[in-house]
Amino acid sequence: MEVNKKPKFEVNNLNLFYGDFQALKNINMNISSNEITAFIGPSGCGKSTFLKTINRMNDLVPGVRIDGSIKLDGLDIYSDIDVIKLRQRVGMVFQQPNPFPMSIYDNVAYGPRIHGIKKKSVLDEIVEKSLRQAAIWDEVKDRLKRNAIGVSGGQQQRICIARALAVQPEVILMDEPTSALDPISTQKIEDLAVELKKDYTIIMVTHNMQQASRISDKTAFFLSGEVIEFGETGQIFSNPRDKKTENYITGRFG
Amino acid sequence: MLSRQAKDTIVKGLIYFSAASTVGILAVILGFIIIKGLPGLSIDFLTRDYEDNTTYVYSELLETQEGNSTEGYSERLGITLDFDEENGLVIAEIDKDSPVRNALDGNDEKYTVKKGDILTRIGDLRIDREFKELDSKDEKAAAEFVQKAIDEIDAVKEDSVRLRVVRIGGGIVPMAVTTIYMIILSLMIAGPVGILSAVYLNEYARPGKIMTTIHFAIKNLAGIPSIIYGLFGSLFFVQILKMQYSLLAGALTISIILLPTIIATTEETLKSIPKTYRESSLGLGATKLQTISRVILPNALPGILVAVLLSIGRIVGESAALLLTAGTVAQIPHALFGNSASGATLTIKAYTLMKEENDLTSACAIGIVLLVIIIAINVASKLITNKFLKKKGI
Repeated sequence: MEVNKKPKFEVNNLNLFYGDFQALKNINMNISSNEITAFIGPSGCGKSTFLKTINRMNDLVPGVRIDGSIKLDGLDIYSDIDVIKLRQRVGMVFQQPNPFPMSIYDNVAYGPRIHGIKKKSVLDEIVEKSLRQAAIWDEVKDRLKRNAIGVSGGQQQRICIARALAVQPEVILMDEPTSALDPISTQKIEDLAVELKKDYTIIMVTHNMQQASRISDKTAFFLSGEVIEFGETGQIFSNPRDKKTENYITGRFG
Repeated sequence: MLSRQAKDTIVKGLIYFSAASTVGILAVILGFIIIKGLPGLSIDFLTRDYEDNTTYVYSELLETQEGNSTEGYSERLGITLDFDEENGLVIAEIDKDSPVRNALDGNDEKYTVKKGDILTRIGDLRIDREFKELDSKDEKAAAEFVQKAIDEIDAVKEDSVRLRVVRIGGGIVPMAVTTIYMIILSLMIAGPVGILSAVYLNEYARPGKIMTTIHFAIKNLAGIPSIIYGLFGSLFFVQILKMQYSLLAGALTISIILLPTIIATTEETLKSIPKTYRESSLGLGATKLQTISRVILPNALPGILVAVLLSIGRIVGESAALLLTAGTVAQIPHALFGNSASGATLTIKAYTLMKEENDLTSACAIGIVLLVIIIAINVASKLITNKFLKKKGI
């Protein structure tokens, strides 16, 4: 069945260099729709770099060079899709909750506004829908005009997820979205991710192996810029094929 | 050999002495300016033109009703005249329906005579000459002098009379207005250029040799004495571009002086804006320009405001550069450049008052006005900074 399903992303022979340093080595990977794909690995293994390459956030880093290809629905993200359009389709949630210092409403409406939606009624609708999807509507519906900086970290992160959802992306990249949060907020974000995969493709970098095993469908283990092993989460955690993977998930290093 | 304790005491004493003398000197300067300037400070000083202004005006006359009027009241003009020891015949009161409010000058343009104006001629009567022959100590003669003027008005057979009105000067209005013009014009030039340069340097330019060179240049430009900018301005703007001593030449010169400060301050502010704001905006599919205009600049606004306030302080305090580019004429500039565009700011006037007219009191009075402006600016920028820090939760 998996074989017939067309992948959302096809990554072929991807290499990435920061100046002389090769951060990603020959990555090949197919990422499926409506699944959670988790990237695990020790610090500096390239998992975040790879995540940022998927919506071309690495373009912002001076001296980056990339070869190989990443295709989104069959189109190369570096040559066939405009970067603005790509980032609209592939949203991102960062490690630190980073709402803009403006009202909750304006935060969520920011994306739609920059894409040209001005009508108040349309914006209202998008804001409510996005906040509901991010499971935070009930907590903030009475204080949409308050500054988003004033709410708790976990709430800020869900506002950031709502902000990403408001531009109606197809894919959501999450870069260690719970590493700055307490266990209860983490639980909420995890439940949310599982809920969201019905409508979105989710790719998540995490340091927390339990998190990967709890919520992801597929897991990729990165080490020194290479993908050591990529497969069904259950298989990776119970029956890793590679010795390095086994060493990592059993906590022998990393 | 001194004990450690004794050494400590000596060093401590030196520290206290230095601190106290700094504060003391500041207090002495402020005290000197205030004591010398306060006698010169008055409502007239703040609201009057600098030069005396003489105008011939034509005013209609009202019908007299031959009632017993109060002393000094001219029914036909609806004004009360009074004797002033210094200036002669002064208009002490003007009725609401007085025709002098709608008097016309020689060009048939409306010239509103105001309270405090001096009459030096009524019809053919040379009041100024009468006043010169008058013994100002003699109260009776003074009363007769006022009455003579009123009689002269009553005696006019036509329905209008020609008056020569002198509006007494001695105020700082032209300099204040020039200063405000200078502030607005300089900020209009240096503000956008400086802010956009800072945006370029912080958001667009790639770090490297060119960036380092630009930063080096900015740092050095900020340290150049303003007289050098003044020399450049007077050569380039005033002479080569033929602007003459003018508002525009002054404002352009000041703008160059302001640029390094505005760029550096704005750049600092831009740097302090978290990188994550840029990332998340771009991550949502915003263009760089959208990110700058909707997230970066709004967040940088308090810092930019502080830069603007500091600039205002600099403009208000600038003397050397303006002396050579905007001139020393105490008038409100009537154009941006050319013959009638010259004008002295408050600071320049304080300088020329002292240097050319030896009028310490007026110079110090201007000094007080300048001090008040500068203190207000400092308080404002402090308030803005505090509010900004509070908003950021620091």
